[in-house]
Amino acid sequence: MSAENQMTEAKKSVLYELHVQLGGRMVEFGGYLMPVWYSSIAEEHRCVREAAGLFDCTHMGVLGVSGSEAKGFLELVATNEVGRLEIGRAQYSFILDVAGAVLDDIIVYRLKDEVFMVVVNASNCEKIKGHLEAVHSGRAVIDTNEPQRRNTLKPKIVDLREASSGPTGKVDLAIQGPASQAVIETLIEEAGTKEELRELKGFRFLETRIDGREVLISRTGYTGAKGGYEMFVAPDEAGWLWQRLLEVGERNGLQPCGLGARDSLRIEAGFPLYGHELAGEFEVSPYEAGYNWAVKPEKGFYIGKAALEKANQESTMTIGRLQLPGEKGVRPIRANDAVVDIAGRCVGWVTSCAKISQNQIALVYMKKDAIKEDAQVGIYYAARNKRHQEQGRLGQIKLGETVQADIEGDSMKRFERY
Amino acid sequence: MVPEDLFYSKEHEWARIEGNEAVVGITDYAQEQLGEVTFVELPELDLEIGQGEVLGAVESSKAASDLYAPVSGRVFEVNGGLESQPEWVNDDCYGLGWICKIKFAEESGTDGLMTAAQYEQYLKEL
Repeated sequence: MSAENQMTEAKKSVLYELHVQLGGRMVEFGGYLMPVWYSSIAEEHRCVREAAGLFDCTHMGVLGVSGSEAKGFLELVATNEVGRLEIGRAQYSFILDVAGAVLDDIIVYRLKDEVFMVVVNASNCEKIKGHLEAVHSGRAVIDTNEPQRRNTLKPKIVDLREASSGPTGKVDLAIQGPASQAVIETLIEEAGTKEELRELKGFRFLETRIDGREVLISRTGYTGAKGGYEMFVAPDEAGWLWQRLLEVGERNGLQPCGLGARDSLRIEAGFPLYGHELAGEFEVSPYEAGYNWAVKPEKGFYIGKAALEKANQESTMTIGRLQLPGEKGVRPIRANDAVVDIAGRCVGWVTSCAKISQNQIALVYMKKDAIKEDAQVGIYYAARNKRHQEQGRLGQIKLGETVQADIEGDSMKRFERY
Repeated sequence: MVPEDLFYSKEHEWARIEGNEAVVGITDYAQEQLGEVTFVELPELDLEIGQGEVLGAVESSKAASDLYAPVSGRVFEVNGGLESQPEWVNDDCYGLGWICKIKFAEESGTDGLMTAAQYEQYLKEL
């Protein structure tokens, strides 16, 4: 067995001590020490589908972008149309570089006419801050067709996770699953706000106070749960909110859930993970990932537009979602395993996979139209060590190469909600 | 505390020595790191293997870990039950979760392996 090295330079989430007390198994992720599970991945996954799960997302980046030029700036740096975003609503979007490569997938929230909040992946936060700073300062080339062109818009940009943001600071806790609304409602006193919460539709949010603290509650999430929310509070209040939620949520079956379950849940739902189903070794674009609705070329110029549109015209690939057997005794599918059509040809590769109950759900990067929905599909296990290679198993499988599938399953709908 | 009567490798395998035979498995530390084991790749029968070479693998949904031979010799028995009950590796790693049995080569022995006390110390330093 290969020993794991613990990273001692990793930062601790504001909830680190609480995780340790709850028995969380801690690992380094995105530069932070985070719980990968508390009880087990399977148990926590089931809990989110049947009751509710609480996730520490305080390591995710939260940026405040404000001022009269905030809207224009966000319009420039991301693919979706911020101009259409009403106050109290959020939108999914992508930040690209000048070559059209995805730097991150983000959610933009409009708090006020000139006040926006942008949530980014923990692992990309420093990179995104650097990119926005370079664009903001006017140093960065923003259009390879017009290399002299520079950004002139100067909104105020702050990192809301920093303690220096004071009471307006924000970190993210996610509560996901059918019981989440009931749990949150227990903490809300005003009838009007309870009603507002009940009416809250997807990608909308409300701002309220709980026990005197400001909380932003959005109907968003990464687990595919129809009922699921993210709650944003000042960093100093995250511990208080985490504990309050677990306290009142116990009778609804609320459990703390780690990164392992977060990953199996988002795979089950079909959501991309940056580095796997977005960007990464295949340079997956937003179009290939299935998000053409979050790219608005008709809005005008934005950074990376021309390159992305060109890449889209030339692309022959897409992300797909497959279901395969996963009972114990079946070898787990991994990234890089080959997707095989009924003619025995490699049509793509696995990018992510999770075991969920008796099945494995795999997200794959594959040729468009190679496998129809509900059609049969195979997976060939790539060689995982020298022994496999000595036995004749291939380590890298080329598109079109003929291989014998090791396991068979079905192609599914691209996305699923629960 | 790890079982006193076993020997241990740096890669977290254990070996129970019975005459010139070794029963082999992975330690509690290893099974905990892996999480829920869903698949065990057992070595082939009669496989001749050197100490430190890859015997097989233990896989969970989160990780695949190669299994290294703690001693040199020939694999003469494997725990076929793990094909349908891979969770034995999690639930009883020193007992029901044994993986294979190796008959020692003449020259080899427990050289290069740690005692229980040495392995405990090794774990503390990880």
